Amino acid sequence: MSIAESLNPDLEGGVLDAGTVPSGGEVASAYTGAAWRLTMRSFFDNRLGLVGLVLLVLLLLFSFIGPFVYHSDTLVANYSINLPPGPGHPLGTDGNGRDILGRLMLGGQASLIIGIASAIVTTIIGTLWGAIAGFFGGAVDTVMMRIVDVLLAIPTIFILLYLQTIYHPTVTLLIATISSVSWLTAARLVRGETLTLRAREFVRAVKVMGGSRWRIVYRHIIPNTVGVVVVQATFTVANAILILATLGFLGFGLEPPAADWGSMLSGGVNYIYDGYWWLIYPAGLLIVLTVLAFNFIGDALRDALEVRLQRR
Amino acid sequence: MKQITRKRAIALIGTTAAAAMLLAACGSSTSSSSSTTRVTGGTATFAEGPGASPNYIFPLTPPSNFSVDNLAQFQILMYRPLYFFGVGNAAGINYADSIANPPVFSNGNKTVTITLKHYVWSDGEQVTSRDVIFWMNLLKANKTAWAAYVPGAFPDNVVSYSAPNATTVVFQLNQSYNPTWFTYNELSQITPLPIAWDRTSLSQPAPSPTAANLPDTTPSGAVAVYKFLNAQATSLSTYATSPIWAVVDGPWKLSSFTTEGKAVFVPNKSYTGPNKPSLSQFVELPFTADSAEFNVLRSGGGAISFGYIPVSDLSQKSTIESLGYNVTPWIDFGFNYWVVNFNNPAVGPIFKQTYVRQALQHLVDQPAWISTFLKGYAVPSYSPVPLAPANPFADSSSRNNLFPYSVSAAKSLLASHGWKLVNGVMTCESPGTGPTQCGAGIASGATMTFNLQYLSGVTATQQEMAAYQSAAAQAGIKINLSSGTFNQVITNAAPCTPTQASCKWEMENWGGGWEYSPDNYPTGGEIFATGAGSNFGSWNDPTTNTLIQQTHTATNAQASLNAYQDYMARALPVVFQPAANYQISAISKKLRGVTQNAYLNLTPEQWYFVK
Repeated sequence: MSIAESLNPDLEGGVLDAGTVPSGGEVASAYTGAAWRLTMRSFFDNRLGLVGLVLLVLLLLFSFIGPFVYHSDTLVANYSINLPPGPGHPLGTDGNGRDILGRLMLGGQASLIIGIASAIVTTIIGTLWGAIAGFFGGAVDTVMMRIVDVLLAIPTIFILLYLQTIYHPTVTLLIATISSVSWLTAARLVRGETLTLRAREFVRAVKVMGGSRWRIVYRHIIPNTVGVVVVQATFTVANAILILATLGFLGFGLEPPAADWGSMLSGGVNYIYDGYWWLIYPAGLLIVLTVLAFNFIGDALRDALEVRLQRR
Repeated sequence: MKQITRKRAIALIGTTAAAAMLLAACGSSTSSSSSTTRVTGGTATFAEGPGASPNYIFPLTPPSNFSVDNLAQFQILMYRPLYFFGVGNAAGINYADSIANPPVFSNGNKTVTITLKHYVWSDGEQVTSRDVIFWMNLLKANKTAWAAYVPGAFPDNVVSYSAPNATTVVFQLNQSYNPTWFTYNELSQITPLPIAWDRTSLSQPAPSPTAANLPDTTPSGAVAVYKFLNAQATSLSTYATSPIWAVVDGPWKLSSFTTEGKAVFVPNKSYTGPNKPSLSQFVELPFTADSAEFNVLRSGGGAISFGYIPVSDLSQKSTIESLGYNVTPWIDFGFNYWVVNFNNPAVGPIFKQTYVRQALQHLVDQPAWISTFLKGYAVPSYSPVPLAPANPFADSSSRNNLFPYSVSAAKSLLASHGWKLVNGVMTCESPGTGPTQCGAGIASGATMTFNLQYLSGVTATQQEMAAYQSAAAQAGIKINLSSGTFNQVITNAAPCTPTQASCKWEMENWGGGWEYSPDNYPTGGEIFATGAGSNFGSWNDPTTNTLIQQTHTATNAQASLNAYQDYMARALPVVFQPAANYQISAISKKLRGVTQNAYLNLTPEQWYFVK
C-alpha cells in the first residue's frame, strides 16, 4: 500500500498516476460534503444560533432593503429638530431635524459593512500571521509574536482615537483602524491552533512525501484552523460594531452627515434630561441586537465546528 | 480675543456715558437679595468652557493662545493689566481696580503719561514703571509673535517710552491719536511684568529690579527673554511649581495646575490691591463637552459653584434652579464668525472672490439658527461691530442683513461667475478674470469643496454646522465637516503663508468669534488689518487698512467707525454667524459678589459664600 493509500483508505488499492499526485500527496477528501452537512445540521439544531441568524437577516433587510421601502431624507439638516415619533417620522427626528428611522437604516449599513469588512481583513491577516508564526516556530515565531505582544500592550482606544484624530474618518479608514487592532487576537488564536496541528500525523506525512513548508501552511494548517477562524470572525464582527459604536459615541465616528449608530447614540445623550427617548433607545437597541446576533451565531458555529461538541 | 460659544461682553468709550449706562442695564446681576450670613473661606468652582481650558500663562500671548480662557479667566487672576476693564456688570475702565491712574494725554494727544499706584509683587518688590518698560521691551522686540499686533499700531506707533521715576511712564506717539481708542485698545493691552522674569534660564538667579543692563534692555536680549518665557509658558505641567510664574501681583496665585486644565488658585497674601479674596480657594474645572459639564451641574452636590446650562438643555432651567442656582445669561461685547483661509494654496483664490464670500454668507440662516438652535439667546452678526449689548456703535449696516438666507441667491452668484453644477458640485467652467468668469487664480475644473473644522462638544454649534452643510449642498457647495476641541481649532486657525505646511486649513469655526477685549473699542484692527497677529484668515485689503487707520485717528470717531462697518458688512472678510450669549450661567445661590463682567474678566476675589 502506498503512503497515499495508507492516508486515504478509500482508495482501496487504487494506484495514482505519479504525474497527478501533488507534492504533498493529498487527494480530495470524500468526506467534505458530509462534514459540511454535519456542521450545518449541528448549527441549525442550536436555537440561539438560529435566533442570531434570523436577527442578522432581519438587520440586513432593515439596513439594505429598508431604504428602498421607506423613503426619507437622511442627510439634509433642517429646523424640525427633536420631533417625537409621529406622522412622517415614525421614530421622530434628531437634533439636526433628520428622520431617525432612515438614519438608523443608514447607520446599519455603515455598521454592518464596517463590521463584516473588518472581520474579513482581520481574519486574513490574523490567520496568515498566526499560521506562519506557529508553523515555522523558532526565531520566526519569536519575532512575529513579540510584535503581536507589543501591539497588544498599546491601549486599543489610544490607537483608535489617534488614527481617527489624524485622519478624516471614512468607512475605509474605520475598517483599517478597527482591523489594525483586531487582527492580533486572531493571530494568537491561530498560532496556538497551529502549534498543535504541526505535530499531527498528517502534517508529518506531508513532510515525508516532500510537501513544501508553504504548502503545508496553506493546504493543511490553515484549512484545519477554519473552525477557530470562523468563530473568531463572527465575534470580530460583533466587536468591530461595538468599536465603531464607541468611536461614534466619543465623536470619532463617520463624518456628518453620514450616520453610524454610535454617533446617533451620542447625539441623543445630549438630550438625555429632556426625555427624548427616540434619540437613544432605537440606536442602542440596534447595537445590542446586532452584537447579540453575531455572538449567537459565533457560539453556534463554535459548537458546530468543534468535533467534541458535535452530536453524532 | 477668541472665545468659545458659551459666551460674551462689551466695550465702551469714556465719551459715551449713555452707552455705558445702556450696557450696564444689560449686564447681568446674579446675587440673590435674601439676607444671609457671610462666611469667610470656602472653595468656589468655576466651569471652564467645553474643551477650552487655559493653556498659556505668560501675559504676552501669541495668536494660537489668545483666548478668553487664557487672558480674562486665567492670566488676569495672577497678573494684573495696567487697566482693568469692567465696573461690576457694566462696561468701562475700572480705575479703582487698575494698577495705573487714568492716563494723561498732552502735546496734542501725542504724549501719554501714566502714573502707577502702590502695588507689590509677591516676591516683595514694588510694581514700578520699570515693570511696564520690561513689558514694552519684550513687545517691541517680539511684536510679530504677539496676537494683538497690528502693523503700524502698537508698538509701532510709539516713538519712545521712558520711566522718569518709579511710578511714571511716558509714551511719545508718532502722531495724534484718539485718546479713547488709544486707551481702550492700546494701553489696555499692557500688563506689567516682574523683573524677576528678566532672565533667559531657570538656573539664573532672579535679577534685582535696580540692576543695570538686564537682558530686556537690548533687542537681542529681549528676544532671548521672550523665547525663555514663551518656552516656560508652553510647559503646562510646571505652571504651579515654576519660580517664574510664582511671582504675581494679582489677588490669586496658582496652587496646582493639570495639563487637562484644572487650575486651583489660593489667595496671594501679598496682594496690595483692592478686593482681597475672601474665598480660601478658587478652582477652574475643565470639561470636554457642555453635556459633561451639565451632567455634573445637574447631579447637584455643589461640585460647581459657577457653571452654565447648554442651550440644548435650557428645558432643565427650573431643575437647575431647584438645585440652588440662579440662572442668568452672560452677555459680552463681541461678534461671531468663522474664518476662511485666504492663503490656502488650493482654495485661497476661491475665497478671495467677493461673490464667493457673498454666496457663502447667503447660506447662513441667522434668524433660524437663533430661534431654533440657540433658543433666542443670541443676536445676529452682520458686521464686525456687535449688536449686543445695546450700544451706540452699530449702524444700519450692522443691524440689517445684507445677505439674507437664500440658496437660490448663492447658486445664482456662482452660476453668473462661470461655475456650473457637475455631479452636484459647482465646478469652474469659465476660468479667467472677467466679470462672468471664476476669478484670478481659479483653474478650470476647480470645485466648490471645502473642509470646515468646528468646535466639538457644543450641541448648538454642531447643529449650525450641519444646517450650513445641508444648505451649502443645495447650492452645489460641498462642505466636509470635522470637529475639534476649542484649543485644537484655534491652534489650526493660525495666520500663515501659502508655502507653509500649516496653511492647509480651509475654514475654522471655534464657535465664539471675537470678544472685544483687550481691544475694547470695536475697530477690528487686531483681526482684519493686514499682518495683524489675530488676522487668522490673512485678510489683506488696502481699503480695510485705511478705514481701520481712520478709526484710530479721526476726530469724528463714529463717522469713521460707520464707514468701516459699512464696508466690512459688504466685504465679508469672514463668514458671519449668530453671536450667542457667552453662556447661560448657573450660579450657586450661596455664592455672592459675582459679577458677569462685560469683558468676561473673572473676579473671584469679590466672591464670597453665605450660610
